[in-house]
Amino acid sequence: MKRKNFIQSSIGVLTASYLPGLPEFSTGVDEVSFVSPSYLKQGDIIGITAPAGYITRDEIRSAVQKMESWGYKITIGDTIDKRDFTFGGTDEERTKDFQQMLDDPKIKAIMCARGGYGVVRIIDKLNWEKFKTKPKWIIGFSDVTVIHSHLNKNFGIASIHSKMCNSFPDDWSLAEPIQIETIESIQLALSGKKMIYTATPNPQNKLGTADGVLIGGNLKMLETLAGTKSDINTAGKILFVEDTGEYMYSIDRMFWNLKRTGKLSQLKGLIVGGFKVKVDPDSDDFGRTLQDVVLEKLKAYRYPVCFDFPVGHQKNNYALKCGVKHRLEIKSENVSLKEI
Amino acid sequence: MIKIPPYLQKGDTIGLVCPAGFMPVEKVSECIRVLNEDWRFTTKVGTTIGQQYHYFSGTDEERIEDLQHMLDDENVKAILCARGGYGLSRIIDKIDFTNFKKNPKWIIGFSDVTILHSHIYRNYSISTLHASMANAFNDDEYKNEFVHSLQYALEGKKIKYQCTQHEFNKKGEGVGELVGGNLSLLAHLVGTDSDIKTKGRILFIEDIGEYLYNVDRMMYQLKRSGKLDKLAGLIVGGFTDMKDTERPFGQTVHEIIRDAVAEYDYPVCFDFPVSHEKENYALKIGVGYKLKVGKNKVVLEE
Repeated sequence: MKRKNFIQSSIGVLTASYLPGLPEFSTGVDEVSFVSPSYLKQGDIIGITAPAGYITRDEIRSAVQKMESWGYKITIGDTIDKRDFTFGGTDEERTKDFQQMLDDPKIKAIMCARGGYGVVRIIDKLNWEKFKTKPKWIIGFSDVTVIHSHLNKNFGIASIHSKMCNSFPDDWSLAEPIQIETIESIQLALSGKKMIYTATPNPQNKLGTADGVLIGGNLKMLETLAGTKSDINTAGKILFVEDTGEYMYSIDRMFWNLKRTGKLSQLKGLIVGGFKVKVDPDSDDFGRTLQDVVLEKLKAYRYPVCFDFPVGHQKNNYALKCGVKHRLEIKSENVSLKEI
Repeated sequence: MIKIPPYLQKGDTIGLVCPAGFMPVEKVSECIRVLNEDWRFTTKVGTTIGQQYHYFSGTDEERIEDLQHMLDDENVKAILCARGGYGLSRIIDKIDFTNFKKNPKWIIGFSDVTILHSHIYRNYSISTLHASMANAFNDDEYKNEFVHSLQYALEGKKIKYQCTQHEFNKKGEGVGELVGGNLSLLAHLVGTDSDIKTKGRILFIEDIGEYLYNVDRMMYQLKRSGKLDKLAGLIVGGFTDMKDTERPFGQTVHEIIRDAVAEYDYPVCFDFPVSHEKENYALKIGVGYKLKVGKNKVVLEE
């Protein structure tokens, strides 16, 4: 196992007392009170749907088996095995499947089977009325950032940023410990365990401690939601960002977008996850590292900042609860994020 | 009311700067020669022309200083950005437009320069020129009608642009101030102090080298941020070198844009000559235009 090939981070998810679905409230600067959906009990149903890219029944088999082994029942949505070019069905089909999962009272959590592209095409067609009265966990990342951000902006309902069905390995005997651990973290999050994460300190971290509601996701998605009704509200919160396959100039431009749309000025803390930088042979001499790009935007602010946090398009991508209050502690010798 | 900077007279000075990416001097020299000898202007070459700092034409400070100097120099009547690339996002909030507001001058460029166009129009209501940059002059291309349209625009000649019919065009007539530029940058500016204003205006968009799904996503962003519903018209320029993913998107770029504005009644035309290619007419941002999308042809006139 080549652990050192990964971003050097380690984590321990500690078990704490079981929280039987009590809504959690915390007041942000935006005066939205965040509500956590009920945590899952044995026998509860998780629905699997494809709101963005297409995926086959074969490709979700491993995830279905694993989630069943956690004691949950699985409902497979109509969009699984459907395909409309790159999408898991037409906009109408994806909307219908997602809507049904939102409205079905028996379904306690919705796992997005994979990301890709497509949530933004259906987000305004979804009716959230039943979901708002009886929230349930929505799970996913990457393109699913649209949903996390939409819930953050409009309803103050917590959701889970984590790996999706397409990250569950077919053969668990070949899986690396980090894969198993990160996937198991989804179950810990769903069952209401208080989450604790650690990351390897980066010498360029900005030290400090912050309490705030955790929010975030894919940076490109956050940029393209600016100005829309799903635009993320970051004031008073701990923001995490990650991205993959972007050029350094584009990452720089996206951080300028965050700054120029006022999303960096009132943070409690910033968590920088994995960034897989695409190299452009014609202009790869950007002259700045990721740390330079981030820190130069933050000179006027004092809040803590950490790099190399285990979230992103990578194997060490732990389940994070968006919309739930956390404490971020960045010290020179260790970095931790704890649900509080 | 939109302020129109004074048009240029023979002998007036055009300043050349590189506010974003690096450009070697030899790529700018033909442009300088044509401006001086053929168009009979005078040129002032900024310190960022030919200068390099990694990807950029200088550090942020150097690029700011050069552009600032050209903005403040009363003898400079127009500023031609020699190339785009990436870099204006980094310096736009550090530029002081105080003198420029009092004595407006033409700012010329496209692509990354969309940031200047959008910022100046939004904040100061001063017209700018979306037009070819230095590279368009090379290889004898300065003789083509598109580069020439920049000369006419600078001299204050009103030109009527025409282009051919496209099967997706939506017929009609729209009148309004013209705004627009590179789609990626317009999307990037949403929610910032440089955000484009589109209500009641004719919007033009163009882009290069983007993934189809990304064009779709950007159209959704414009739509969801209320930029597309109250247009006087939409001009779709060149969307060249589009890329697709391994799992094909399933629509052409024209279909993506057609569908994004299908619910609106304003006129829409496709393949208008504004692009990263040779076909790139000079367009005055903020100036009132009439767009006529007819059965056989499309006309855009001041």
